[in-house]
Amino acid sequence: MIVRCAGVLALGSLVLVASLVRPVTAQESAATAAILARALDAESAGRNRDAITAWRAALAAGAVVPSILGLERVFSGLAQEESLLVALDTLVPKYPREWQLRTVQLRVLTTMGLDARAAMAFAEWRDLTPAEVMPYREFARVLLFGNRAAAADTVLREASAALGSTKALVLEVAQMRAGLGLWREAAEAWRDLMVEEPYYESATVWSLMAAPAAARDAVRGVLGGPAVSLGTTQALAFLEVAWNTPRSGWMALAALPTTDTTIVLWRLFADEVERVRAWSTARDAFAAIHAARPDAGIALRGAQAALASGDAATALILARSAAPMLDEVDRNANALPIELDALARLGRAAEAEALLAGAALAIGPDGVRAHARLIAWAWIRAGDVVRAKHALVDAPLSAEDAVAGWLALFDGDLVTARGALRNTEVPGQDAVNALALLNRTPLERSEPIGAAFLALARGDSTQASRRFEAAASELPDAASLLLTLAARIETSRRNEDRSTALWRRLAAEHPQSGEAPEAHFELARGSRRRGDNQGAREHLETLILDYPRSALVPQARRELDALRTGAV
Amino acid sequence: MQYRSVGPLLLAVLLSALPARAQHLLMPMDDEQANHLKAYGVTFSALTDGLRAEWLLNFRGGSFLVPDLPSLRRAAALAGVTFEVVDADRLVQIRKEIADGNMDAVPLEKSPRIAVYTPPDAPPWDDAVTIALAYAGIPYEKIWDDDVLNTDLAQYDWIHLHHEDFTGQANKLFLGFRDAPWFLQARDRDLATARRHGLGDVPALKKAVADRLRAFVERGGFLFAMCGATETLELAMGARLIDIAGPFSDGTPMDPDADAKMDWSRTFAAQGAHLEFAAGVNAMSDIDGHQVNVPSRRQPLGTFTLFGFSAKFDPVATMLVQDHRTVISDYYGVTTSFLRKVLKPGVTVLAHEEGAPWAKYIHGSYGQGSWTYLGGHDPEDPQHNIGAPPTDLALHPNSPGYRLILNNVLFPAAKKKPLKT
Repeated sequence: MIVRCAGVLALGSLVLVASLVRPVTAQESAATAAILARALDAESAGRNRDAITAWRAALAAGAVVPSILGLERVFSGLAQEESLLVALDTLVPKYPREWQLRTVQLRVLTTMGLDARAAMAFAEWRDLTPAEVMPYREFARVLLFGNRAAAADTVLREASAALGSTKALVLEVAQMRAGLGLWREAAEAWRDLMVEEPYYESATVWSLMAAPAAARDAVRGVLGGPAVSLGTTQALAFLEVAWNTPRSGWMALAALPTTDTTIVLWRLFADEVERVRAWSTARDAFAAIHAARPDAGIALRGAQAALASGDAATALILARSAAPMLDEVDRNANALPIELDALARLGRAAEAEALLAGAALAIGPDGVRAHARLIAWAWIRAGDVVRAKHALVDAPLSAEDAVAGWLALFDGDLVTARGALRNTEVPGQDAVNALALLNRTPLERSEPIGAAFLALARGDSTQASRRFEAAASELPDAASLLLTLAARIETSRRNEDRSTALWRRLAAEHPQSGEAPEAHFELARGSRRRGDNQGAREHLETLILDYPRSALVPQARRELDALRTGAV
Repeated sequence: MQYRSVGPLLLAVLLSALPARAQHLLMPMDDEQANHLKAYGVTFSALTDGLRAEWLLNFRGGSFLVPDLPSLRRAAALAGVTFEVVDADRLVQIRKEIADGNMDAVPLEKSPRIAVYTPPDAPPWDDAVTIALAYAGIPYEKIWDDDVLNTDLAQYDWIHLHHEDFTGQANKLFLGFRDAPWFLQARDRDLATARRHGLGDVPALKKAVADRLRAFVERGGFLFAMCGATETLELAMGARLIDIAGPFSDGTPMDPDADAKMDWSRTFAAQGAHLEFAAGVNAMSDIDGHQVNVPSRRQPLGTFTLFGFSAKFDPVATMLVQDHRTVISDYYGVTTSFLRKVLKPGVTVLAHEEGAPWAKYIHGSYGQGSWTYLGGHDPEDPQHNIGAPPTDLALHPNSPGYRLILNNVLFPAAKKKPLKT
């Protein structure tokens, strides 16, 4: 349907263009339209031979421009552009001021690598219309399309000399400069262009996104400078997303005064950062839009982004602000799950349970059961395994469910945990650690391990670290991994003394373990943080020489080099 | 008959093997090598420790042979350099293979003392050679104008130049960077140095420096230059008494007859080149084939091919082209290549682009010493723009382009013997 509509539109425009070449009668026009339609159909269907015949017939009927454009499309698809040259050699002298024929001629000659002939064709056109910008623009565009920025630069310089300025060619100048890697100059050209024509922001982004990291500050300086157009700010914001610094993009947009136009820009930006999963930026953008123009849908998207970024508190605020704007059905379908998830992550289990109870009548027993896992998680986060299990009484989990696996692990039931945790949908670091540990030990029960993971789930890293260390003494099979888990926790807490002690113990007591290289690596980093470069060097050398197959060796070499050259 | 011809060869092989009963470490430089660049550093450190090494030209990509010592094993392992233990029997086989083919074993006896001509405040990533030396762990000293003019350069075996403009025009960067703080700072620094030495302007200072470098080579030194230093050193040496600098650098216009007055007998490589007189055109002369900073003249990058030389008869050229690749992607620099039509007849072309009118890598002798020019700025950064991030060689440990630089570093370590190049 869409294709058919497009065809009709194209046909209409082609007939219009055809009529521009020479006057036609109504009868001729109808006949030509029929031929053009046949040519378009054949081309659309991929019947190239028929399309060529039909376009030639249309050409003979006087529809010169659409026919040449059609023939160019078909021949270029067949890589037979040279077949057009004969026709162009006849038609261009006949219609010397028809710019589309001239452009096709330049395009074909350039594509075929006939640069000298292209230059002659351009010179002929330029001399015919010495005051017009068109020959320069079209030739520059053809060259830029072929990634020949330097050649385009020559044409544009010539235009500047002949016409007095390149103001009318600012788009081509911008593209040319970007093609030559003149990023600041390209940004200036795009900025100037968008003062009059702000809709070029997408072209600006596309053109400048390849700027290397070192050149980006210069581009930021130009596009983020004072008195720039809205399109320029928008381009900079989207460039920041393309450069993987979406937060900076949002900072540029957030500074704009809140108007309807700004809200539209924010919406576009929020869609983009949501698409690239820049969750914390998406959260802020959606929250700002919602604050300026309250909208439940926007608030819920912001809440989802907040959850994805790990910010349960903001997710809860946004979901709760959306809820009153929704009818009961929408509220329970869309706001309630987010609110429950946020409360579960925050360990506010009683609130979550009360919220679900309040909605129970509306969502029915099946709805309540569907949310039982979240309530169980909320109690786990709150550190109450008994109530977590209770929450699941009416919604028993299968033995293979990951939540059941976690509950079993907290109980010390390693057999059930071993089977169920494999089904974790998106395993986080805790799940990976748990599975690694469960695969390391043949034990069927271990309360110390359960207690350690429960402490971790509660967010009590001090207890978790102590319990992992204690468990190491009881489980010799997994001792090195348990010590590693304890040491990692202390390293992330920046508890230097304790982390160093744990890593040292690991390196000394378990030198043959898979975790020993990590211990030396972390000990090296710790030494370097204390200014003990010699100690750092020794640990890195031990890692490289004693554990040559470790995946950490390349990084150890890099850090050793940095120590040697004084780069740290 | 066959035995008779092989006999003396075998005897020579056996004799050369006699002192080598101990084990050796072979660092292969073909595709088996995990880190080609650091292999040069390990070899260099062996020489620094007073050990002997051998460069096995054309044998497995130009391998290095060092004594099997725990310290060297450790150094190689730490650097991630692949090595093989070679016992006496295997060494005899290797020597026979070398004797039978286009290969040679060149003894390396002492670590050369290296100086890099670079501004005191230049970061190491501004220069491909300092990047390579730092990565390979090869020590070097930095020298700048005062050092060149005040000290005896004969203390160095090897001097490297990178993109310094010896015509004193700061690579014509005034065109785009005249207001940049770093540009103004460099200009003021050079002017102060010139006045300290009783010279009126920066072009005069740089020509004096160029003349000292010419004398260094003439007296037996090795000079290696890359990027813009190649072309501008030639121009500065040939224009000792002529004004070839634009008014923006010394306040006076270029001598209109400068082209005709150039004294090409004082240059290493070029003759009959034409100077660029337009101040607004960012080029120095027509020595460079690529003219990267002149949009209307810029030539696209291709690939260049290293020539193969006879290892036994042309060991110098052979050393300079040791590589595990013979075709290498080209890269731009202020000077990227050297037009053949302006090269002196005695210049040895080490690498060129097939079908193009330019050479990429050239070498020659001058007086008692020799020079090598390699066009381009950074073998792993083909476009290299000002402000571009530094190349991290940890990501290019097998870079064939950087090997060419390090070949030049080890080349002065070779024991001197009659060379035909």
